[in-house]
Amino acid sequence: MKQFAGLMAMMCGLVVLVMGTQLAIAHHSSSMFDHAKTMTIHGTVTELRWVNPHVSLTVKGIVDGGSSKEPEEWVMEMTSPGNLVRAGGWSRNAVKEGDEVIVKFSPNRDETLRGGALKEVTLVKTGQTLTANIRMQEMPDLQ
Amino acid sequence: MKLRIALLLSIVMIGSPAVLAEDASPKPKPIINPPPTAQDWADLAKLPDWTGVWNPKITDQDAQIRTNPPPWTPKAAAQVEKMFAEEKAGRPPPIVVSCLPESMPSWMLITHNAMEILFTPGRVTMLGESDGNRLRRIYTDGRGHNEDGELTFHGNSIGHWEGDTLVVETINVLPETYIAVSEAAGVPNDGDMKIIERIHLAEPNILHDDLEIIAPHVLTKPWKTTRIFFRQRARKYDIVEGVCLQGNYSERVDANGDNVFVEIKREIWGNIAAPKK
Repeated sequence: MKQFAGLMAMMCGLVVLVMGTQLAIAHHSSSMFDHAKTMTIHGTVTELRWVNPHVSLTVKGIVDGGSSKEPEEWVMEMTSPGNLVRAGGWSRNAVKEGDEVIVKFSPNRDETLRGGALKEVTLVKTGQTLTANIRMQEMPDLQ
Repeated sequence: MKLRIALLLSIVMIGSPAVLAEDASPKPKPIINPPPTAQDWADLAKLPDWTGVWNPKITDQDAQIRTNPPPWTPKAAAQVEKMFAEEKAGRPPPIVVSCLPESMPSWMLITHNAMEILFTPGRVTMLGESDGNRLRRIYTDGRGHNEDGELTFHGNSIGHWEGDTLVVETINVLPETYIAVSEAAGVPNDGDMKIIERIHLAEPNILHDDLEIIAPHVLTKPWKTTRIFFRQRARKYDIVEGVCLQGNYSERVDANGDNVFVEIKREIWGNIAAPKK
């Protein structure tokens, strides 16, 4: 019986733990990032999450002027896939795992975190630069 | 014995003229949505051309936060100012991170995502990108508002055409839905809200939604604002599927070799939990 009670307590704890992480990632302000700052990271793409409502790019690299001289993973957020397509040049396959990239981003205000809002990414191999700024595309009949 | 008497009384009651008359009375006929006629379909061609993909002018939304704020009640104004302060400090209030619909009127006010507008006989339908659950049905077939008062995220919308302008009145919106001025500032409408919209082409490829929002519990007077949408026709900009909750997951391959969604960690502000330095 005691074992059963213990199991139940553990499961309840697990439920609380899971419930505590149930906040969705949907539409949110990006003010947790300091848009007045721009940082640059040189590195390799480890993942592009091409998902609504916020695409994310994970890059393992070294930040210009950063404290770490060893490559570290940084997670960069963007707008939605549909908006990125309109921003220009983006697709699910525009940036792939293993691509060498240079990313300009606004870092998280919490300087203990390796996160940011992606401003633009340049593919080293081709020199192509993709912007994530949808406000620059506010005009009809884009081609 | 008691049971027999009760049974007898029941038979007498059922057989009484009053009950029989009630049974015989004609039941009200259900209201039918008639099939559209060829003329109904032909009449759609007389409406303005709103095809294509409509994107919101976000820079104008940004500007109106300060240039045309809602006439908040003092209580609501204090709440919103506190939210602005929190957002400025990098702690944006997570008012729309739940993946519930942004709802009316916030969809029109603060969306960053595209929409398309479909005309069918007796109805205008708005379909939004980036939320699988974002949809407005505006009835233009002459019906009135729902009599049952059912409350929903997008409310009950009745429209009519005045020339090339679609006039829409929306009521019965859930009181919990926000009147938002950004993704991090706004207050629940608290009920009894009415939204009147005049939607029209301001230029060949610019759509204006002139909104008048009447929300007596949080606004001191009706709030008028115009939201601007611009049109894309290039096929590569067609609306794509957008399932809000997808953002909570990464695509992975599990131990069985199956493709699966794996939940990721998020911050309370709605963004992905970044690794610690």
